[in-house]
Amino acid sequence: MEETTTPAPIGEESPERPPRESSVRRIRPALEALLFSSARPVRDAELAEALEAEPAAVAAALASLAEEADVSTRGVRLERVAGGWRYVTRPEFDSLLRRFHEVTERSRLSLAALETLAIIAYRQPITLPEIQDVRGVNSSSVLTTLLEKKLVTTAGRKAVVGTPFLYRTTREFLVRFGLNELTDLPKPEELDEDLAATVEATPESGVVATEPAVPPEEPADDESA
Amino acid sequence: MTDETAERALPPIAIAAFSGPFDLLLHLIRVNEVSITDIPIADITEQYTAYLDAMRELDLDVASEYVAMAAELIYIKSRMLLPRAPGEPEESPLEDLQRRLLEYQRYKEAAETLYEVDALRAGLWPRPPIAPPSSPEGETLEVSLFDLIGAFREVTERYRLAHPAALEIRHQRFSVREKMEQLLARLDERRTVPLLEFFGEMALRAEAVTAFLAFLELIRLGVARAFQKVAFGEIHVTRTDVVFSAADVRDTYQ
Repeated sequence: MEETTTPAPIGEESPERPPRESSVRRIRPALEALLFSSARPVRDAELAEALEAEPAAVAAALASLAEEADVSTRGVRLERVAGGWRYVTRPEFDSLLRRFHEVTERSRLSLAALETLAIIAYRQPITLPEIQDVRGVNSSSVLTTLLEKKLVTTAGRKAVVGTPFLYRTTREFLVRFGLNELTDLPKPEELDEDLAATVEATPESGVVATEPAVPPEEPADDESA
Repeated sequence: MTDETAERALPPIAIAAFSGPFDLLLHLIRVNEVSITDIPIADITEQYTAYLDAMRELDLDVASEYVAMAAELIYIKSRMLLPRAPGEPEESPLEDLQRRLLEYQRYKEAAETLYEVDALRAGLWPRPPIAPPSSPEGETLEVSLFDLIGAFREVTERYRLAHPAALEIRHQRFSVREKMEQLLARLDERRTVPLLEFFGEMALRAEAVTAFLAFLELIRLGVARAFQKVAFGEIHVTRTDVVFSAADVRDTYQ
């Protein structure tokens, strides 16, 4: 990368000082190349480290790239998800892409799997007996499905009789549901409005539940206790 | 609630779609246009059990949790007819059920949100995961404990298939003639032989069956006689005077 020839003033940056326009312009194409070549969302810190650039300059360059891509004249846009950034196609091209790549069926999660996933998401870390207590039904096979799909994973064991496994959601979960972090999960009382907002979001706006309508201040798991 | 409501609450097509007893209960509460905090427990119980009957009629496997919930509803209904005994817990079983239903409903709504979001986001195509050339793929490989267990199982299974252990299976054969000879030899030694003692030596079921057939055959031919000293007592076998040689028996089973 040619940018590495210019040493970036690491350690000197302060949040107040705006990044130099020149450095933002300089790292922008490199950022685009990095993100274009990556399938998974790349974290801001990883990008800054790879470019040996100030985090503020990277943030400014990312914002400018995202803004530029978020127009209906482009086929891809830059998405902020799971604490990182990645390029995804615009939703209106889904049927075109499906035809071209001959994708007929998509595996959908069952309602039982989504219920279990929701309980884990809001109450993590949580054990299987606790999940079953909420659902009122045996959930071990749906849990296996979620583990196989890597949407949840184990998070140690609970120090109770039988030391059952604790489960939590994964980064893959955040990516799949377009959340930047867990606190972006809609609060239970906001579910109805949020659902309405999500459904009404037109493809034109380019916002597909990547940003919750109301950013919650804290994790929602205390709500369900 | 009238019969009409009960019928309205029974669309048989949708039965399999319930994700559990709470889901079915919420459906009934919605159909009856009542709130969770004000459940007409008698009507709901009746409709709930009618649903279970319909499920059985359709040969659907009614999970035990559904049956347990039916029992709980009936219990709640019966408890409501009784005055609260002194020293009983504050929360009634109905309140407990309402609390659990409300909690379940929250997650069900969350699941519905996830469903919608998932459907919309399925239309976004990310870059396909192609490893860049000459990438050692070290740090990007994310594996869980279950992946490791799965991989280990796969390796051991592959090894097992590639290195099958030598296993020799011999078919054990027993002939009636052979067992006849055995029993007659025993009867030559002793005048009477307790039958169970003779069978007790047989290690395999097939061997014992053959021995029993041999015993019956000897009785049929009048070569041996069975008797009991007391009613329901031990059966003993003894030899008669009939001349017989087991070697003459044609044994077709080879």
